[in-house]
Amino acid sequence: MALRLLLFLWIAAALLAGFLWAPLASGLGETTRVLYFHIPSAWVMAVAFTWSCAHSVLYLARRKLEHDDQAAAAAELGILFCVAAAISGALWAKAKWGEYWNWDPRETTIFFLFLIYGAYLALRGAIEGEEKRARLAAVYSVIAFVTVPFLTFVVPRLYSSLHPSPIVPQRGEQDSIDPRIAVCFVAMLLGFTALFFWVTSLRVRLARLERRRERAAAAAGGTA
Amino acid sequence: MPPSGSSSVAAVWAILRKECRSEWRTRYGINAALLFAVATLTAVSFAVGRLPDRTDLLAALLWVVLLFAALASLAHTFVREVEGHTLTFLRLVASPAAIGIGKLLFNLLFLAVLELVTVPLYLVLMGGPPPRWGPFLLVLGLGSLALATTTTLVGAVVSQARGRGALFAAVSLPLLMVVLAAGVSGLRAQWEGNPAGPEARVLLAYVATVLGASLLLYDHLWED
Repeated sequence: MALRLLLFLWIAAALLAGFLWAPLASGLGETTRVLYFHIPSAWVMAVAFTWSCAHSVLYLARRKLEHDDQAAAAAELGILFCVAAAISGALWAKAKWGEYWNWDPRETTIFFLFLIYGAYLALRGAIEGEEKRARLAAVYSVIAFVTVPFLTFVVPRLYSSLHPSPIVPQRGEQDSIDPRIAVCFVAMLLGFTALFFWVTSLRVRLARLERRRERAAAAAGGTA
Repeated sequence: MPPSGSSSVAAVWAILRKECRSEWRTRYGINAALLFAVATLTAVSFAVGRLPDRTDLLAALLWVVLLFAALASLAHTFVREVEGHTLTFLRLVASPAAIGIGKLLFNLLFLAVLELVTVPLYLVLMGGPPPRWGPFLLVLGLGSLALATTTTLVGAVVSQARGRGALFAAVSLPLLMVVLAAGVSGLRAQWEGNPAGPEARVLLAYVATVLGASLLLYDHLWED
């Protein structure tokens, strides 16, 4: 309970500091504030999909349904943060480029990540039997994840992009970021990451309870 | 006892021959795919007319036609096994990797036949500039290999799910975006007289990654 309260206060404080304490970055103006939401969302999306793939590999190696619960929960939350990153990016694009959506390679990439993991959830829904579902979903999750670096790093280089790059300033450019902006940004990054792991743990506990209830109902049906 | 190298090659060869023979007996897969490809090509050609100087559209539409035809047909090698209840017998005589590679080679052959009809017809109907055959065939060949590698594994997964027809396209397409992006960019580059080497390298890396992952994952596809 105390940790949850601390997390809530942490994110609220970082958001308020981003609006009231940190200055605006040169060239970005009021859109600087999107930085505190957009990049942490995209970061958590990457963490979530990596977490999902890692637990899929663990499931294939150990065959414990706990890993499948983790993989599914992480994929669901990854999609949620993917949508958050896309919406915040679209708002930024409207302010800076004049349109919400331009089919820029980065926008296209995030859209296809959404589709890949949406397909993962659709596949899970179409397979009967929890062991079979866990196994086939794990196979798809691994094959989906190995294509992600191509979408994230290679495709944007084949087509010209308006998206700011590099996202993280190179060495020597560190001075150009105001330390207050950096503090708010890192605080939001940590807050969002903690939020992801907390909600994932809730989702996993819920899946465990649902499985226990289904098994109890099946056992009661068998003895009746 | 794990199968020796020579027995694995023999198993792959036997599966490839079996697939070719099954296809030759019914021919419904290749006939449907060819009809689908030609119908799509006709619709595209009728809608946009001849495109002698739009190399960007020429490259994109060729890959769209090939992708549609592939997605309409490449899952059928596994679906045929599931619907005919022959997969269990197949697993008794060959390892999962041998089954996967045998079916991958068949899908590749299937795509080659499809392209042998579709591509010349496309070039004639769309009236594009003559391609530089070396880079053109290199990009087309590597793109087809990438297409077959991905759809073979996804086909094996989806064939065990409900609603596999619609699901196969929905699950495969997002994974194939890299192939589509690199394939379109490569074909456009060769038509515009630019080197297609970077795109060929992307496709090669994609094939190596997906094929490597597939070889590790085939063992987990069938267990019950």
